[in-house]
Amino acid sequence: MTSDQPSTNQSGSPAGHRLLLWLRSALILLALAALAGYLLVYVNYALALFRFPFDYDQGEGFELMDSLLFSRGQWPYRDNSTYPFYSSNYPPVFHLLVVPLVWLFGPVYWTGRLVSFLATLVTAGVIAWAVQRQTRRPWLAALTGLTYLASNYVYHIGPLFRLHTTMVMFETAAIVLIGNSADQYQTGPGQSQMRPRLWLGLALLLAAGFTKQTAVVTCAAAFAFLFIRGPKRAILLAVPFAAIALVLFWGINLATGGQWWLNAIVANSNPWLIEQATGLYRQWFRLHSVITLLAAGLAVYELYWGRLSVYAIWFAFSVAGSAMAGKWGAGESYFTSAIAGSCILAGLAAGKLLNWSERHHPRAHVALGLLIPILFLLQARLVFHLPTGSPLGRTVAQLAGQPTEVWIPPQTSCSAPQEARPVAYVDAVGPTLLGRPPTSADAQAGRRIAAYVRDAGGPPLSEEAGFSFYADADVVTNPTQLLNLHRGGRLDVDELLEMIENRVFGVVIFRAQFYPDPVLQAIGQNYETVDTIEMNNFVYCVLKPRSEQTDGSK
Amino acid sequence: MVTKRHIGLALLVTGLAAIAGILAVDHIGVGEFGGIGPVQRLALAAGGLVAAVGLSLIPLGDRPA
Repeated sequence: MTSDQPSTNQSGSPAGHRLLLWLRSALILLALAALAGYLLVYVNYALALFRFPFDYDQGEGFELMDSLLFSRGQWPYRDNSTYPFYSSNYPPVFHLLVVPLVWLFGPVYWTGRLVSFLATLVTAGVIAWAVQRQTRRPWLAALTGLTYLASNYVYHIGPLFRLHTTMVMFETAAIVLIGNSADQYQTGPGQSQMRPRLWLGLALLLAAGFTKQTAVVTCAAAFAFLFIRGPKRAILLAVPFAAIALVLFWGINLATGGQWWLNAIVANSNPWLIEQATGLYRQWFRLHSVITLLAAGLAVYELYWGRLSVYAIWFAFSVAGSAMAGKWGAGESYFTSAIAGSCILAGLAAGKLLNWSERHHPRAHVALGLLIPILFLLQARLVFHLPTGSPLGRTVAQLAGQPTEVWIPPQTSCSAPQEARPVAYVDAVGPTLLGRPPTSADAQAGRRIAAYVRDAGGPPLSEEAGFSFYADADVVTNPTQLLNLHRGGRLDVDELLEMIENRVFGVVIFRAQFYPDPVLQAIGQNYETVDTIEMNNFVYCVLKPRSEQTDGSK
Repeated sequence: MVTKRHIGLALLVTGLAAIAGILAVDHIGVGEFGGIGPVQRLALAAGGLVAAVGLSLIPLGDRPA
């Protein structure tokens, strides 16, 4: 293991040496404690979400629906123009990972939330392993792995029934294995021993691509790296890789009668909003500026003075690819690949600086030994987030000089605007509805909405699937999917409109009114609001069929 | 072996091609803005940055990338 201890001749005197050693150790422990604190906050949030039986983030229930369909041996890529007007828009790997849990425990939310949460822990472990392997400094490896988990974005989405963090897990493991195998190829015993790791890395890359489409950016980064290190080998690897991906792609398309192409590719071609993209870039940099600058510094060094590593190329590609966060319906999650890459590069940058200074500049080595844990402490400060519903949470927030609550009006699309009210969660992102652990009041509100679904006397038309799962009713429609297809002129809504006009649906549940305009208009003409219920700081509107005809006659 | 010069040339060509493509799109009148819109300005800046980085790498010659 590399020694970080300043020698006596660096610090002047034995007493000075001991003081510096103590100070350095204290700073490292402080940084580790701060980041471990975030890990505890993360685990607490995850446990609260595992117990919560409804959607916390819109769309979770549809991913549960996808897992349920796969568990029954059915494809989730379906014709949206016929009942139940449902299709998935995501590739299958994440939902297939959840299937065994659905077989064992039924269609419950904690299954996918657990898989996603574990994926973030594995990603942090892989980041730490990559840093440890090159720097041989366990404290630095631990700091970088914990920094990934402390990111506001990873915290927000990590324990949700969403597939993004599982894609990042596959991406990170693939990149580390591919980088590793290339190092072996250059310096190690040779090609035969390198091959299994490389093929495993490529298999994980394929898994990432079939978890979420955006992994195509990481595939491009990996092959750019392989091409730089060996153009012929890269082409020889790219051909079977592309062939397998295409066979899988067209196989699924064939098996689903073209619905895979329509729902997973065409329907995801959403408008790109420059304000959304630039706003998210600014926010990402503000929250992660320490690790981003360290990562960018190492990437520039490698570009001009060293050899480009797979991590530098992945980081550059991921930062550029995060522009996809500007698509309608996308968001902060698109930056998590860049965050994973920057955590690895930041750790390697710190390790390189320590190694260089240890050999060439003893005084700088002492200063860096103190500076690096301070930088990770600064990074921990930048991503401050904490639920403040408990006395302990409020005390920690006060000690950190943060507010103990944030005032946010409940979000509504279907009722009068609401007054702002205190939310017991503080986040450096600013006012946000992700991150506050759901409460028993939220669960109670969800059960009230589910009771409407259970007693509806007809199938529900709900913007979230959780109430239908809870009431053992049909999951009908995936609203954003219908909206995307309608915008592209690829949706036939006749059957859905006919069912609405005939008031076949016993109840309609709105949260954001994501349905296409003709559907919203038909609902407005044939259904009326009978209740509004708040859950997770969103207003849900419950609509029942109007008692009178739309022409006004009874 | 791929060298710094190769990477530089690749980035230079990519950046210039992006700039040319964006200007061509503007010339044929795609988009909602009469002139160069905010998305195009952003893309032009990115293309220019890529081209500049590429140009700065070319003098580094045959060192491995």
